[in-house]
Amino acid sequence: MTPRRISRLLDFLSPGAWTILGLALLSSAFFAAWPRPKREARDFWMFSPPNVQHYRGVLDDWNARHPADRINLVQIHYQALERRLLAAFTSDAPVADLVEVESRAMARTFAGPLDAIGFVDLTDRLKSEGLFDAINAPSFGPWTTRGRTFALPHDVHPCLLGYRADLVEAAGIDVARIETWEDFHRIMGALIQDLDGDGRPDRYLLNFWENNYDLIHILLLQAGGSLFDAQAQASFDTAINARILSTLVGWVSGPRRFCVDARDFTAGGDRMRLEGTVVASILPDWLAAVWKANLPGLGGKVKLMRLPAWERGGRRTSVSGGTAIGVTKSAPDFERSWAVAKHLYLSPKVAESLYRTTYIVSPVKAHWSLPFYHEPDPFFSGQPVGAMYIAEAPHVPPRVASPYITLALERVVGVLVALKRFAVAHDVYDADALLPEAQRLLKEAQHDIARRMDRNVLFNSTE
Amino acid sequence: MSATSRHGVSPFPRWAPWVFISPFFVLFLVFTLWPLAQSLLLAFQQTFGPKSSAYIGAKNFTFLLQDPLFWKAVRNTSVYTLGAVLIQVPIALGLALLLNRPGLRGRHVFRLIFFAPSLVGLVFVGVMFAQLFQKRTGLINSALHALFPRWDPEFAWLDTHVMPSLFVASVWLYAGFNMIYFLAALQNVNRDLLEAASLDGAGPWQRFRHVVLPEIRPVATFVVLLSIIGSFQLFELPWVLLDNTAGPDDRGLTIVMYLYQTGFLVGDLGYASAIGWVLGIILAVAAIVQMRLTQKEQIR
Repeated sequence: MTPRRISRLLDFLSPGAWTILGLALLSSAFFAAWPRPKREARDFWMFSPPNVQHYRGVLDDWNARHPADRINLVQIHYQALERRLLAAFTSDAPVADLVEVESRAMARTFAGPLDAIGFVDLTDRLKSEGLFDAINAPSFGPWTTRGRTFALPHDVHPCLLGYRADLVEAAGIDVARIETWEDFHRIMGALIQDLDGDGRPDRYLLNFWENNYDLIHILLLQAGGSLFDAQAQASFDTAINARILSTLVGWVSGPRRFCVDARDFTAGGDRMRLEGTVVASILPDWLAAVWKANLPGLGGKVKLMRLPAWERGGRRTSVSGGTAIGVTKSAPDFERSWAVAKHLYLSPKVAESLYRTTYIVSPVKAHWSLPFYHEPDPFFSGQPVGAMYIAEAPHVPPRVASPYITLALERVVGVLVALKRFAVAHDVYDADALLPEAQRLLKEAQHDIARRMDRNVLFNSTE
Repeated sequence: MSATSRHGVSPFPRWAPWVFISPFFVLFLVFTLWPLAQSLLLAFQQTFGPKSSAYIGAKNFTFLLQDPLFWKAVRNTSVYTLGAVLIQVPIALGLALLLNRPGLRGRHVFRLIFFAPSLVGLVFVGVMFAQLFQKRTGLINSALHALFPRWDPEFAWLDTHVMPSLFVASVWLYAGFNMIYFLAALQNVNRDLLEAASLDGAGPWQRFRHVVLPEIRPVATFVVLLSIIGSFQLFELPWVLLDNTAGPDDRGLTIVMYLYQTGFLVGDLGYASAIGWVLGIILAVAAIVQMRLTQKEQIR
């Protein structure tokens, strides 16, 4: 380049600007030429830390035995996984071949037309391979919309009641006499005590409060209540729901209150469990493992019992949470992904290690007689924890998946909060007296959700 | 536009200025104008991602007008905004007046202490106050119960007193930040005017009312507008404080939280866009009012 030409270039842009431009072009060319990493394994997204801890070992073993069919486990935070999943399904963003998904996240992927759901429809495959019969039927509910099932269930998640056996037995209480929630309150009531003499109880019977979405849902389901009917239409303006919510007001307020807010996964809640401020908690199988890991101080002091029923002869369990594995439509080889999914969720060997790590009971009915589920557990005072959960597994209530479930639960919680406010304002805590107000509030709440659902022309068009 | 080189002749072709400003225009077009236009289109659609959408006319907007949750969000946000203006701004001004006192020792230390909370993130503040406001085991209830044994240790700050809890957290977070603006304005108040007022027999309140306040009014107007706009965009603080919910009975629901819930939890991006546009209009009105007020100040 001649000096004159260089001089003309420098007239046009300064040396610094030319340097920046050159670097920009060079780096752009560099990144454009960068080879895309070749996928050496199929990705499997998971969110639950205990499940990741368990399946990492299982997949290491799988990868060692199948070097040509490796699975790359990627742990993603629950909310991030949900966001990425929805982005992938609605905008063709990259997604894993296999995804372990939580029930509410799955429900959100059901908001559009059936063909927009990014998971492979497994209905026919589950039918032809006999899996609908092999797996506990209620476990399919959260993964099914408009008659089609999009994931293989991972669990049952029945609920029991975990209680401080040391306190209960020291008070001479025989829990075998407890059949209903009314019995629970009456028989255990002696444990509600003012220990420091300040005129306020320092010990309550149950971990529950009026704005805990999950616990309210568990109790409604146990009673046979529901938020959506079999056609996934809002249906929570029912006599059962009104009765349960009216009763719950008396649990959390008024002269017969016996519940306290000792929320899980908080230091404050754990302290209340350790100090005996709360005697009992509703405990799905997965939460039993959380107690064992996070509250070693409770070892040997706690026991499990069936949930008290809402009426004599009623259901003694409920259900909470749930995960399942889905194969995404973008997975290049469905058969290979499906084989991995079945290995992870249906193998008895994996079911054993899953139970030993997380207390989660397999939904495969044939596994329920395996010996490891019947071993006594020192943490729960020598009780056979797995067998106790399995005994309730066939009785867990059915659930209906809906993209509006979170909204509906918020409305139901709103009803309970408003009902409690009404009770306090009128000094009325009797369930019968609160029933008309509960029905009025539920009717309003259902109307609101139904209006929102009616707006969704995409969901309704494919029903 | 003209430019001359050291030779006296423009070395740039006519299109050169356009090249220079093109990076801004390209970025503005791609990341602001295009999404804005898209969101306006989206506001007239029902969608489940770009692949599934249906044109529904103005139904999103008509539903919005009859949506009790939206109006609850507007009411909550307005109450919070009023609180921010009527509680937070006066506290900030009070702190600034205290720090502006002549002869105050350790002024820099106090200024750092009051300003420090705004150096930490909103999420951190949300998490911290969520712990502090816990029933029974939270520091606030424990301390109050220890000091006043009649205080209910289960006082439900985050269940039944959501808005006061939000005020406490936001005052702690923002009062020091706004104080800095007021402090800067107070330090520019004409000392001669203050001395003249003192010589004329004006007391502290009269000096504040008739000298200081008119002098700092432009800054006060700016702080108030900043508080209004910031308050209408409130989201992270209540979202974290209330454990990723709007709180019992939606007592902590704000407009932006409702937008987020609608767009990203329900997946109704069309309706969320309609909410966003209405929020934009509310903020534009606030900005216009502020411009009018500022213009009036300049005319005076």
